[in-house]
Amino acid sequence: MKPPRRLLGTLLAAALAAGAALPARGEYADVVLNRRAEKEGVRPVVFPHWFHRIRFRCKVCHQELGFRMRVGTNDFRMADIIDGKFCGACHNNDVAWGPERCDLCHSGKPGLPTGIYGGHETNGPGRW
Amino acid sequence: MKTHAATLAAILLAAAPPALAQAGKDLYAKTCAVCHATGIAGAPKYGSAADWGPRIAAGLPKVYANALKGTAKGMPAKGGNPALPDADVKAAVDYMLAAVKGAGAPAAAAPAKEAPAKEAPAKEAPAKEAGRPPPPKAEAAARPEAGTAAASAPAAPAAPPVQLALAAPAGAEANSFNRLLKPAEKRNPAPADDGIHDPANDGTHALMAPLSAYAGLPRSLAGNRINWVEALGQKKIDPRWDRTDLKAEPVIMDMNVVREVKGSMPDVVYPHKQHTEWLDCSNCHPAIFVPQKGANSISMASILLGEKCGVCHGKVAFPVSECRLCHSKKKEPAAARAQAPAPAAK
Repeated sequence: MKPPRRLLGTLLAAALAAGAALPARGEYADVVLNRRAEKEGVRPVVFPHWFHRIRFRCKVCHQELGFRMRVGTNDFRMADIIDGKFCGACHNNDVAWGPERCDLCHSGKPGLPTGIYGGHETNGPGRW
Repeated sequence: MKTHAATLAAILLAAAPPALAQAGKDLYAKTCAVCHATGIAGAPKYGSAADWGPRIAAGLPKVYANALKGTAKGMPAKGGNPALPDADVKAAVDYMLAAVKGAGAPAAAAPAKEAPAKEAPAKEAPAKEAGRPPPPKAEAAARPEAGTAAASAPAAPAAPPVQLALAAPAGAEANSFNRLLKPAEKRNPAPADDGIHDPANDGTHALMAPLSAYAGLPRSLAGNRINWVEALGQKKIDPRWDRTDLKAEPVIMDMNVVREVKGSMPDVVYPHKQHTEWLDCSNCHPAIFVPQKGANSISMASILLGEKCGVCHGKVAFPVSECRLCHSKKKEPAAARAQAPAPAAK
């Protein structure tokens, strides 16, 4: 009973992933970071802008912490985060959870390319 | 008809004090939903009759006591916030119960058998199951009308539950062919349902859902559907200006730049004020905009391609669908311009 159902489930999941039936939506301005994650064997990172902008103004990350405002141009590694740079400036078990809580940040669906998500509004001119 | 009467009675009972019901709903969204929306840590899932059935069978007082005092299985007392008034916690419990069964009635009927009996209740249950998920919202919308304007035009009081039960599922599907027009319940999805988080990952279920953070924030019609500038202006949110210094305040520059546009759209007024409340000068100048009048060529095309304003607008700030938020300065009427081109001052 179990294996067929599981097989069916994976088939369905594959169909969904392949087709446009369930487009990757996300909340507006969610960022998927997958420059290295999957090559290193972890899930991609999902960064939710909405959660952070309730707590910090844009300037904190985009000026103090040095995050450039174009997806894919910030080239950093876990080592940098553990050293207290980029995400690690707050994700240090002091302001927010620390880098050992892998699955809270590395929570994206495998296979998602780096980019900004959140529905058609973030998808550029083709979708307008 | 009898089942309809029963449903209506249940609704009336459940929604008797609307203020408390609203408090319960708000509290659910803010606190309870963290676990009960997804059922993490063994929490009975919102809307799942299978999860709630055995608990309801133990009796309402027991369910209240679990919520107020916590359980050994992992429910923290009052959801982990001891400051909450008992009445609010109970209202939140009521709100969750309302989603699974005809509120109070089965609680009395159920104790003997765990699974609801087969004949009459079984017939009643599907009707309620189908009707239940929409009504909490529908009730909230429908009740005040019925309360304030006793006999409002469209519907006799008995009709709404039946119509809603039938219309809601059909209505949700009616426009689904348009992939860009999301029905309300598809907006601001919780991480596990948003299509980019992996539901198989444990951490996903520990993340906050956007809607639980948006309660009480001013709404807008696009993007996150939150008016962030307004939220900041009304002090509904207080994001830090400095990573560590809680007292640091932004240097706000109150200067509007008006850009005349070629087409028939109103001219653009760019306000430095709202931008400097969030951003540092160096975020935009000089890389994106040369800080000099007339030195920047901007077009909607470049914005849509993610240049200029489009670095943020259409990514994280409100998208370009909100034309009039930028194109806000009325031009003089075209007729006046055509008829009297000479008086240039006007």
